[in-house]
Amino acid sequence: MNPELDPELDLGIDRVIRAPRKVVWDAWTDPDSLARWWIPAPTVCRVDRLEVRPGGGFVTRMSDDGVAFAPHVDACFLVVEEFERLVFTNTVDSRWRPANPEPVAMTAEVVFADHADGTDYRVVVRHGDPAARDLHAELGFADGWGGVTDQLARFVESAR
Amino acid sequence: MAQCPAELDGVFLALADPTRRAVIHRLGRGPASVSDLAGAATMTLPSFMKHVRVLESNGLIHTVKSGRVRTCLLNRERFAVVEDWLARQRRLWDERTDRLEQFVTDPKEENTP
Repeated sequence: MNPELDPELDLGIDRVIRAPRKVVWDAWTDPDSLARWWIPAPTVCRVDRLEVRPGGGFVTRMSDDGVAFAPHVDACFLVVEEFERLVFTNTVDSRWRPANPEPVAMTAEVVFADHADGTDYRVVVRHGDPAARDLHAELGFADGWGGVTDQLARFVESAR
Repeated sequence: MAQCPAELDGVFLALADPTRRAVIHRLGRGPASVSDLAGAATMTLPSFMKHVRVLESNGLIHTVKSGRVRTCLLNRERFAVVEDWLARQRRLWDERTDRLEQFVTDPKEENTP
């Protein structure tokens, strides 16, 4: 419900998904379903905690071999409105301990609404200021990371 | 999701030099020999080789020796680590949404446990 979005720090996704709102909600809130799409294959996702309620833990781990699992997300739900909205943050972990998450602190708001073709699915991810952002200044890239990325994209595209 | 900071440092260190950026720029158009690349730089070959080694040890290029000619090639995949951090987060969420969409719209998924 807070529309504030800083284009330097935040991102928004707005997609119509051709499936009923409840199906999309269930894909998010059922651990076995979430594990199927949360991390790109072939990396294996394990959902350790998915307590879909305000204050509930959200913990996923990932593995390249299906045996050794590394931390992925350790977050906490802030807002849960059934079939309508999920808000979670990794700045407070699943045990409510203040965290300094890598690579960047964020709060994600996921909104599910009915649409004639299925579900109007919107995500707003609000980020903290990642430490890595300062790296370009240290290295003297006057145009910042965006400029470097554009340049590199041009270098790489020019050969295609 | 997380980038290894040491890896990122190395890539940026490699790119924080005009000679090395010029090499990357040239290799964007295709492979080139060390001697051709060195010819465009205003320094001795041993000095230039140091730059080549920095680029190679940080994975931005690789080199192949054939007879007396050492050819440099751009390692394009490596540039993903210097992608703008916000663009990277956006790609992560875009791809995540692609997978969610596929999961809920693929009829094969419906009856799988």
